[in-house]
Amino acid sequence: MKNTDSNLKGIIRDYDLNRWSVRIGYAAAYLLGILFLVICFFPLIWTMLSGFKEIKEFVLGTKILPEEMRLSSYFHTWETLSFARYYINSGVSVGGSVLCAVFFNGLLGFVLSRVRPAGHKVVYALVMWGLLIPATTSIVPLFLNILKLHLTESFLPLWLSMGANAFYTVLFKNFFDSLPKPLIESARIDGASEFRIFRSIAVPLSQAVIMVVVLYSINAAWSDFLLPFLLLQNTPLETVMVKLFSWMRGSKFNDVQIIRAIVFSIIPPITLFALFQKQITQVKLQAGIKG
Amino acid sequence: MTDTIRHRAAKVFRRNGAGWLLMLPGIILFGFFAWVPLLESIRLSLYNVQGITLQDFAGLSHYVSVFRHPDFVAAVRNTFSYTLWSLVIGFPVPIIMALIISELRRGKSLFKVGIYLPNIVPGMAMVLMFSFIFIPGETGVLNIIRDRLGAEPFGWLTNPKWTIPLIVMALTWKGAGATALLYIAGLQTIDSQLYDAAIIDGAGIGRRIFHVTLPGLYNLMRILLILQVISVFQILYEPLVMTNGGPNNASLSLMQLMFRYAFTDYNYSLASAVSVIICLMLIILTVLYMKMNKEQDA
Repeated sequence: MKNTDSNLKGIIRDYDLNRWSVRIGYAAAYLLGILFLVICFFPLIWTMLSGFKEIKEFVLGTKILPEEMRLSSYFHTWETLSFARYYINSGVSVGGSVLCAVFFNGLLGFVLSRVRPAGHKVVYALVMWGLLIPATTSIVPLFLNILKLHLTESFLPLWLSMGANAFYTVLFKNFFDSLPKPLIESARIDGASEFRIFRSIAVPLSQAVIMVVVLYSINAAWSDFLLPFLLLQNTPLETVMVKLFSWMRGSKFNDVQIIRAIVFSIIPPITLFALFQKQITQVKLQAGIKG
Repeated sequence: MTDTIRHRAAKVFRRNGAGWLLMLPGIILFGFFAWVPLLESIRLSLYNVQGITLQDFAGLSHYVSVFRHPDFVAAVRNTFSYTLWSLVIGFPVPIIMALIISELRRGKSLFKVGIYLPNIVPGMAMVLMFSFIFIPGETGVLNIIRDRLGAEPFGWLTNPKWTIPLIVMALTWKGAGATALLYIAGLQTIDSQLYDAAIIDGAGIGRRIFHVTLPGLYNLMRILLILQVISVFQILYEPLVMTNGGPNNASLSLMQLMFRYAFTDYNYSLASAVSVIICLMLIILTVLYMKMNKEQDA
């Protein structure tokens, strides 16, 4: 028996499997696991399949599978909705957001971890509160302030808002806490400025955590709805999520067209996940939560 | 001697200055996007607002009008109902998932990736997807499946008794896998000698789970429970898009009430009053969480 197949640590041990009752239970656990997978995949697969249906087929039909798999209907809807424009808008929004997420949260995490000026604990405590009382509860004053600064119809507030993410800051701080101290002390003795230490020592050593923040912030910025909706709706800068919402609210497009739009909006995150599933799933969130 | 002290003092001073200078961009951003709006919510809720400018002081009158409105009672009741249902459905599902998947000997990583997948679907896309899945009548996918199993078609979200549980199920669909991965990581930290000892004492599988596994996960369960409550408390997109708060306010949440006041009625004071109420409730929960966290560290 291969080592990976045996279980010397968990609840059910190999010798337990000699008992029939345990074997049946174990088989049931497998079935349940497969059922979980089916439930996880079914809504996505159903949505993609429904996108192939004609509108009459979708509204009146009682079959789950489409009659014909015409990829052309997807292409057609892509053109009708001029989806490329919203992909580009979302892309620009995501790009700036990722840069801000890494730079600002990284820098703050670095100072809180390695420079620790007098009073840094207060700042850290305030950041931690932000982790638990997310900013969406005070979206109204934030929106009014952005209005007063005439920054609506611009990606700038969206980009910068990603630079104030408590979770990423804590993630960076915890990572920098684990860097070897002598490395930073010796640079300090050599007269390097704190920013230089950040740029030339801390950042090059933190590719792993930067990668995680990049992946997370891509997904967060792509999925972000509330602030983009308030700032960009009915402007030429509308992102995919804002547009999805207004298509659903309006009556200009039919159900299958909207379903195809949903599929378009899901393709980029799924592609990202397929490429980086290992990095995305391995993060131990509780490290961030516990702080 | 004094020289070195002065030298050291200068160094400390320089480091503090440099530190605060480097923290400044972060502090400005956190201030602008998180801390200031939080405080300004309080101010807005106490004043009359015309357009986007503050007018005269209104005292607590906005709170009174919020409390008096029947929608508020409905929103509070529903928000607690969301929370309760998410404790019934959303809390145990990831634990069961984790217990099962971590015991599987083959294909474990496939299961892990598979159950995480829904979590990367954007919230808005997920909500729209489920509004189509929950289509009532004979042509909705769930009713087609029910029909194959020989059951009558069901009203789904249009049935007020089922609206909130179904929304919570959709939320669980998205979130459970990611939470299960945290529990799987937690399971790996349980000392296998505890199991050995339990086995020597003759404990069967059920007793191993109840006397070793679940106590070993207790701290993590506590933390994730409170975080889940905090996040469900702010539920907004789901009722906004799937039901628009209906049928007949059966799914209206507190956040949605705030959203309605702010961006349908443009009454920023009432909206802010609701925000402050939500924040107060969240602060109470957060203090509870911090207390638990401290106990755990001690």
